Amino acid sequence: MIPIEVYLIFAAVLFAIGAYGVVVKNNTIVVLMCIELMLNAANINFIVFSAFTADVLGQVFVIMSISVAAAEVAVGIAILLNAYKARKTIEADSLTSMRW
Amino acid sequence: MFFEFPFEIPYLLTLLLVVPLTGAVVTLAMGGKRQKYAKYSAGVFSGITMLLSLVLLFTPDLSVYNESYPWIDTAGLRMSYILTVDGLSILMVFLTGLLVFLSTVFSAREKDRPNCFFALMLAMEVGLMGVYTSADYFLFYIMWEVTLIPMYFMISWFGGPRRHYAAIKFFIYTHVASLVMLIGIFALVFGAAGGGIADFSFEAVLAGSVAFGSTFQMLVFGLLFFGFAVKMPIVPFHTWLPDAHVEAPTAGSVLLAGVMLKMGSYGIIRVCLEVLPEGAQYWQPIMIFIGVLAMIYGAYACIAQKDLKKMVAFSSISHMGMVMISMACLSSTGIEFAIFQMFAHGLISAVLFMVCGMAGHSIGTREIPLLGGIAGKMPVFAAFMMFGFMASLGLPGLVGFWAEFGIIFSFYDYSVSADMIWLIAFCLISLLLTAGYYLWAMQRTLFGRLTDRIDLSHIHDVSRPEAIALGAICALIALYGLWPDLALGFVDGYASSLAASLGVI
Amino acid sequence: MFVEYTWLIPLVPMLCFVIVGFFGKKMPEGGGHVAIFGALFAFAVSVLVAYEFFTSAAYSAPGYVTAQIAWFSIGDFGINVGYYIDSLSCLMMLFASFISTLIFVYSIGYMHGEGVKKRRYYAEVSLFLTGMLGLAVSSNFLEMFVFWEVMGLCSYLLIGFWSFTHPSGDDAADNAASAAKKAFLVTRLGDVCLMGGLFILLYAFGSLDYLTVFDTAAMAAVDPNMVLLASLLIFGGVIGKSAQFPLLDWLPDAMAGPTTVSALIHAATMVKAGVYLVARCFPLFTQNPELMLFVGIIGGITAFFAATMALNNMNIKKVLAYSTLSQLGYMFLALGAGGYMMALGIQSGDTHLIAAGAVGYTAGCLHMANHAFFKALLFLGSGSVIHSAGTEDMREMGGLHKKMKITSVTMLIGSLSIAGFPLFSGFWSKELVLETAMHAGSYGVEGYLFTAMWVLAVVTAFMTAFYMFRMWFMTFKGKPGHGTEHCHGESPKSMTVPLIILSVFAAAVGCMILFGFDEYITTGINAAGQFQVGSGHGHGMTGWLEDIFMSAYTYLTVALVLIAIGIAYLMYSRKSVDPGKINRNGNSLIYRALSNRWWFPQLYNQIGWKLGYGVAKGVEFVDRQVIDGTVNALSSAVVGSGESLSKTQTGNVRDYAAVVMAGIVALFILTVVLFYLMGGA
Repeated sequence: MIPIEVYLIFAAVLFAIGAYGVVVKNNTIVVLMCIELMLNAANINFIVFSAFTADVLGQVFVIMSISVAAAEVAVGIAILLNAYKARKTIEADSLTSMRW
Repeated sequence: MFFEFPFEIPYLLTLLLVVPLTGAVVTLAMGGKRQKYAKYSAGVFSGITMLLSLVLLFTPDLSVYNESYPWIDTAGLRMSYILTVDGLSILMVFLTGLLVFLSTVFSAREKDRPNCFFALMLAMEVGLMGVYTSADYFLFYIMWEVTLIPMYFMISWFGGPRRHYAAIKFFIYTHVASLVMLIGIFALVFGAAGGGIADFSFEAVLAGSVAFGSTFQMLVFGLLFFGFAVKMPIVPFHTWLPDAHVEAPTAGSVLLAGVMLKMGSYGIIRVCLEVLPEGAQYWQPIMIFIGVLAMIYGAYACIAQKDLKKMVAFSSISHMGMVMISMACLSSTGIEFAIFQMFAHGLISAVLFMVCGMAGHSIGTREIPLLGGIAGKMPVFAAFMMFGFMASLGLPGLVGFWAEFGIIFSFYDYSVSADMIWLIAFCLISLLLTAGYYLWAMQRTLFGRLTDRIDLSHIHDVSRPEAIALGAICALIALYGLWPDLALGFVDGYASSLAASLGVI
Repeated sequence: MFVEYTWLIPLVPMLCFVIVGFFGKKMPEGGGHVAIFGALFAFAVSVLVAYEFFTSAAYSAPGYVTAQIAWFSIGDFGINVGYYIDSLSCLMMLFASFISTLIFVYSIGYMHGEGVKKRRYYAEVSLFLTGMLGLAVSSNFLEMFVFWEVMGLCSYLLIGFWSFTHPSGDDAADNAASAAKKAFLVTRLGDVCLMGGLFILLYAFGSLDYLTVFDTAAMAAVDPNMVLLASLLIFGGVIGKSAQFPLLDWLPDAMAGPTTVSALIHAATMVKAGVYLVARCFPLFTQNPELMLFVGIIGGITAFFAATMALNNMNIKKVLAYSTLSQLGYMFLALGAGGYMMALGIQSGDTHLIAAGAVGYTAGCLHMANHAFFKALLFLGSGSVIHSAGTEDMREMGGLHKKMKITSVTMLIGSLSIAGFPLFSGFWSKELVLETAMHAGSYGVEGYLFTAMWVLAVVTAFMTAFYMFRMWFMTFKGKPGHGTEHCHGESPKSMTVPLIILSVFAAAVGCMILFGFDEYITTGINAAGQFQVGSGHGHGMTGWLEDIFMSAYTYLTVALVLIAIGIAYLMYSRKSVDPGKINRNGNSLIYRALSNRWWFPQLYNQIGWKLGYGVAKGVEFVDRQVIDGTVNALSSAVVGSGESLSKTQTGNVRDYAAVVMAGIVALFILTVVLFYLMGGA
């Protein structure tokens, strides 16, 4: 049996890649995708712990998490579309109207 | 009492709050096409309030009007709705009713959003009446803050060119001070409760105050004193006042100087002196020092002012310094005349600010160097201005003189007992300076050659509503000047009992 | 029965003030007739009251009639209001109301052309008269002080009568405004001192009633230092009000008002109040010989200095103003010298000295009454001249005698009287003043100072005669000037009749002394040990008369007066002596000093400006820059730090994300570290 550490390291790596992408990437679509990566890293942790502790609650939670993430993406894409309409760009660096 | 009001009006003190509140709502609703009725509505409601406050003056036993209802009684806290009137507050209540009504009359020609303007004045009256009648610290504090908000909007909506700066400064400055005061109030209430139920009523705190230690009294006195004194105001925490006055509309200035500043001295007597006698003893020299400083400093600052209204604002600081030294004597005479001076200054400063306001809108400028020889063009205006100035500089036969005479006498009494008889020289110097800046201002505005530095084609003398308002106050100034006992009679008993509790008679 | 109605004396003019003030616009002459009625009524009541008082038993037994009601109280001390009638108040109210009546009648003619302003004029003079009469009949210091200040206000209003829209132009208006302010402020300086004195008295005696304060037993119980301080402060008030050295500067400037106002201020009211107060406070002041010495010296110096300033002035009203100052100085010299002797007498128990001091009291009061008449006459006469000549400059007058006979003759009588020409009223009182000063010189350690004052007073008498006749000759004799050509003859009846009446009094009033005036106006200590004014507790009249005519000094003074008149005649009528030679055509130092009033005004302006405006500028700077600067700096510090912190909000979503990540990592590390530090596994 594959030890639990392997799954956890895998999820951590996935999370780190996602976080790296959120911080570094300029394209907001990519940022959104990276957020999905981080979310899924968390989902993996849920499933792994659920499997190892034989508790089904974790898997139930993952399903809810995925549906919420789907809704989030829909909202996120909608914001991006609106931003694109207004600004003709979705570069994160140029969307700075919330600055001081 | 030569005349007694024949019957008792139920809930009179509550009515003093409810009538202006209703008035504020009704008047505010008179927007748009109904704007021209706003002044009548305001006049009626403030007039009724004034008549109600007048009834108090003719009531021999004021305690019949006491009201007390429980309000919040939970979690170890007990706040009540208690209203009372006594010798300290009766003159202030009357002054509030009078000045709100007369400044409504005075501003009858207000064209800019009159419904908001008059509603703000009535709202302010609610707060002021509340401060002077409440006998529960929680209610007192709420009312104290309630006065702030209409004044803020009064300045920032209807004020002069720098109104936003002045309004914000006024609000933050006095609000910070009242937060310090709130800490003091909490200290008082919880200190008096001593772990039991924290009862916010004046009575309970006074009863519990016997347990206060010296250090506690000293510290809490400091907190409360700071909170109240900024409102008075005292040097060096006074700079919000000239700015607020310069920018405020005339009616706002009248209420600010006439009644709101008195909240500070009222608070010092009501809270600091009544509850913390030992603290008062400890702080006495400091109060004297601050009072003398304010008197002299304010008078000197007046001499240098170029804006008529700013000069009058500084003169308020100087005169409130007199109230301060008078209270600080901690004697029966001192307290009596401090209250009398509060009343006298309320009347006189109303005249002064109305006159300055008229200079602003009838002549077009309040800048003293731009004026000159106006008396020939506006004789009635000049007469009122001169009357106000003379009253303020303490001309015998007018109300201000008796107040100042009594104050300086009680101060002399103190200075003899403190073996510092020379202190009285400061009072006399300030009297002289007061005469100096008023006369110099009159020389430069009313007299001399007619000015050619401003356009005089639109100049017009006092209008009828203005003349009515000013005439009424001037008549009262003369009446109380010829017969000071009319006002002193109310204060006498209160002052001597307070002085007795202070241990210095 | 009339004495009970004493309160009508100030009240009726007060009512006239109210009536004229509110309704004068619609009345003929702006309510002038109402004002005259008020003054006349007050005079009539005064006569009745005085008659009843002098014929009553009270005159000889306590020497006063008083009644009071409680007004209000300051702490434990009750303040009363009421009247107090004795010989001194009778004298004051009689001459004040009589002269005011005449001045008001005169005003009908003099102010005729003033239009709507007449209402203001008559209202204000009525109030002025109220102040003086109220002061005379007041029963306590505080009541007296109220009227004292009312007079100050009225003098301010009346001196500034033309302080806007002046008939002769803008500069004159500026001048009047400044003069009015100066008059009020300088007298206010005195009043503030007086008020300080009242506090001390109220505290020490527990009351301000004359009866209580002047009670010999009460006085003995009070700390003498406090009495001295109070007396000094009260005298400070007198110096301000009566324009004595060093506060004499406002009175000449006060000439900016109408001439009738000057007459009122100088003759009937205002400056006389100071003399009255000193006479009234005699029981208090005589507790200290040094204080009385001070009073006398101030009087002597003022008499001398004011007279010098009058020597070369070209303005007819200013000459009269200086002469008022100088004559007031005489009154204070007399009161001071008399009081000095009296104080020494009280200390040593020497009744002879007390009686000698009473002569000074009589001299001061008699001179006050005399001066009231001749100064009113002179001012009204000069007003008549100004009215028809249209100028106040004496160089533009001259030769007016032919055109204005009545004015000229009446003014001559006034001038003779003020100069102390033998047998005119001024002579009697002036000789009495000099006699007292001389007499006081021989008592006490500092008595020699009075001898010095006597010398000054004699020199002053010489100068007085000179400048008064200089004025008369320049105005009525000599070559006609521009003003004379412009003159259209004698003034109207309403102006000349008061002049004639006044001239009779100016010549004769002083002769009251021959008919026992000093029996009525004198002071001494009565059988009950109290001070009493009047009822013959004085000196032998005849002895004094002998003194005057037997003394060589009298003849010295008379000779000096005659010489002075002669010099004035030679210089200004015959023109055989050219005054220009003496003063190097106005370039000599002394001439410039005199025209600049010994540079007093400049000095005062400098001091006033520095102490007032200079300090005020500093205060204003501190207020705006330091105090308000701190407030504003505090608020900008809060706002500024907020602003600089807001820079961290880059608006860049990736920066926010990075900060969040960093925060998580930092928290994680912190947790781990803490976990280990707290001994976790």
